[in-house]
Amino acid sequence: MKFVRRHTATAIAGVAAMALLATGCSSSPEQAASADNPVELTVTTFGTFGYDDLYAEYEEANPGVKVKATNIDRGSNARTDAFTKLAAGSGLSDVVAIEEGWLGSIMEVSDQFVDLNEHGAADIKDNWVDWKFKQGTDPDGRVIGYGTDIGPQGLCYNGKLFEAAGMPSDRESVAELFGGGDATWETYFKLGEQYKAATGKAWYDQSGFVWNSMVNQMEEGYYTKDGELNIEGNPEMKDKFEMLAAGTAAGLSANQTQWDWGNGKAFVDGSFATFVCPGWMLGTIKGQLESAGGGTESGWDFADVFPGGASNWGGAFLSVPKTSEHPAEAAKLAAWLTAPEQQVKQSAAANNFPSTLKAQEKLVADATPNVVFNNAPTGVILANRAKGVVAQFKGPDDSVIQENVFGPALKMLDAGTADADKAWSEALTLLNDLVVNN
Amino acid sequence: MEGKSPMTTTVNRPAKTLAAIKPKPTFKQRLNVFDVKASPYLYIAPFFILFALVGLFPLVYTFVVSLFDWHLLKGQGDFVGLQNFTEVLQDRFFWNSLFNTVSIFLLSAIPQLAVALFLAAVLDQNLRAKTFWRMSVLLPYIVTPVAVAMIFTNMFGEQYGLINNVLGNFGLDPVMWKNETLPSHIAIATMVNWRWTGYNALILLAAMQAVPRDLYESAALDGAGALRRFFSITLPSIRPTMVFVVITSTIGGLQIFTEPRLFDPATAGGSQRQFQTTVLYLWEMAFQRQNFGKASTIAWLLFLIIVLFGVINYLISRRIATADAAKPTRSTRRARKRAERTTR
Repeated sequence: MKFVRRHTATAIAGVAAMALLATGCSSSPEQAASADNPVELTVTTFGTFGYDDLYAEYEEANPGVKVKATNIDRGSNARTDAFTKLAAGSGLSDVVAIEEGWLGSIMEVSDQFVDLNEHGAADIKDNWVDWKFKQGTDPDGRVIGYGTDIGPQGLCYNGKLFEAAGMPSDRESVAELFGGGDATWETYFKLGEQYKAATGKAWYDQSGFVWNSMVNQMEEGYYTKDGELNIEGNPEMKDKFEMLAAGTAAGLSANQTQWDWGNGKAFVDGSFATFVCPGWMLGTIKGQLESAGGGTESGWDFADVFPGGASNWGGAFLSVPKTSEHPAEAAKLAAWLTAPEQQVKQSAAANNFPSTLKAQEKLVADATPNVVFNNAPTGVILANRAKGVVAQFKGPDDSVIQENVFGPALKMLDAGTADADKAWSEALTLLNDLVVNN
Repeated sequence: MEGKSPMTTTVNRPAKTLAAIKPKPTFKQRLNVFDVKASPYLYIAPFFILFALVGLFPLVYTFVVSLFDWHLLKGQGDFVGLQNFTEVLQDRFFWNSLFNTVSIFLLSAIPQLAVALFLAAVLDQNLRAKTFWRMSVLLPYIVTPVAVAMIFTNMFGEQYGLINNVLGNFGLDPVMWKNETLPSHIAIATMVNWRWTGYNALILLAAMQAVPRDLYESAALDGAGALRRFFSITLPSIRPTMVFVVITSTIGGLQIFTEPRLFDPATAGGSQRQFQTTVLYLWEMAFQRQNFGKASTIAWLLFLIIVLFGVINYLISRRIATADAAKPTRSTRRARKRAERTTR
């Protein structure tokens, strides 16, 4: 690292010098931004974040601050971007969005991020649901991320397709059909088989997302609470895998490509009837429908039920890397963006679910109908789905295990090239090759 | 002719007489000598300094990294010597990536060169609006590879792609462009070919235009048909250029990254690594598995493989070049003789 550090220092010095030249002032970087002391803050987000209007609002309220935003298409690319820049020691934005799935990796180098306690994190800590704030705190008690949204999961379903299959289609009946508060994955797959028998079509888009939901629901996921790998010899995980494999073998998976779905066409052509929906996924579906030219008539709806009980998948944090030249201004922006009032606006723009209590209450009180999802009060439903969510420990290789270990194994199931045993042993082999003996 | 050249004034400097008298050289003279001796090195220095900075240093540094346990984020770990090399050489995914790279390379290079040769031969004819045709074969080359990859990826989609739709209209089974190894290689090779065929055609065309026209005329008078003229005159005459094109496309082909990376943006070269090339594996190792040491090892092994290919190419090209100079092949000799006879 010696080499890198020295180069980093020169690079930073160079960039700093350039910035000084460019702005032509700002003797001390910690001096508060004002019209006389303009500061440009860079922000990197990913997926559907819904911040565009908020940036403009912040700029207006804080003369001298200019926000330069970059949005990366999906979380995994944002991960590569952040990792590359962390490794290079330069290039990170002043405010960086971090996804829960790779927070474990970031925690290993949490000293490269600003401790937000130095910028008043303690004063606002009660804003968040407690587990979210804890997730953003490293083992030494340094707060390195303010939570933006959380991902409580509800069930998206296509009312029109349900109707065509002779199943109930209104939200309440659907929630009941799946078992209401006692909904189980067994019921989910059993209903899938009924649907398949009635229509000949698939029940879910592909196995990967169903698997993520199942794993995120467990008390301990790919890692135990103590940070040990928790996959081989984990009967609960293997049972769930076999259940999913049986469903997929019965033709319940449409074998779609994640994050592609034929540019959204799969959401409008009736390829599948259910979809696991963490809050932020609602924004993804909206985007997919738009790109496929589908609207409210496509029949998607959102039910207050989830197989296996409460589950949280994903959610993000805003962090300030140590390389930021304006840590105080950046922390201020991050705190503002994640404050309840702004989270409500973000939720309206991106369809995700806020991580602060007041914002959640506001969403419940407003009960705004979501036009894309057949006027379902998605905020109220997500607030219900968030009850009982327990934060799961995410280890350093969580996202690698999700994408590079189970991704290929589940794809084998979807493509029909392996049965449950073969796919499971493939996952274990990959785990051994990619994580244990990496 | 020589007298007209402006260079003669410096060539005829009376150095010998000066040396015979041997006066102490003045400062200006010494400066002149230094100028003559040192300037050329100074002139070429920028390249070498730049190369040392952006070529040699990373090369050496990568090697240093490859000798360590080196985590992407956590940085340098223990010195492990050549352990990374032995592990990568036993890694099934490394060999898989090498197989994919060579397979995609062969699927792209061979058809590409054949088509480029054909295109060049056509463009070498007396066409109307020559420049228009020549520019249009270069068009795919100006489009950014990312755009090309996105369009082709869309076309090769398994469930919604244009090609499978068309196949479906004819009642044919859809091709699993991303899940099966050979179709995925063909799809990626298609992108490469689309981009590089025109470029290579233009280079070959330039070489073809340097072939003396009288050879063709006399061969035609002797009754050689177009095909015969192509194989007996054109091909042998452009061999050095062919070798150049083969070498550059080998180097490019072994480093292929963008096309397979974007062919399935969610994975590093296919869900079961069906089209994971070596550079893509390097990328996965560095940025997903975060093992910088092994990633550097792969980079170095790839470098050695490319050098190996380069040496083989060099040996072949040298053989061809000397064979050409010493003993023209029978067909060209015959054609040349024929040409001499007819002009006489």
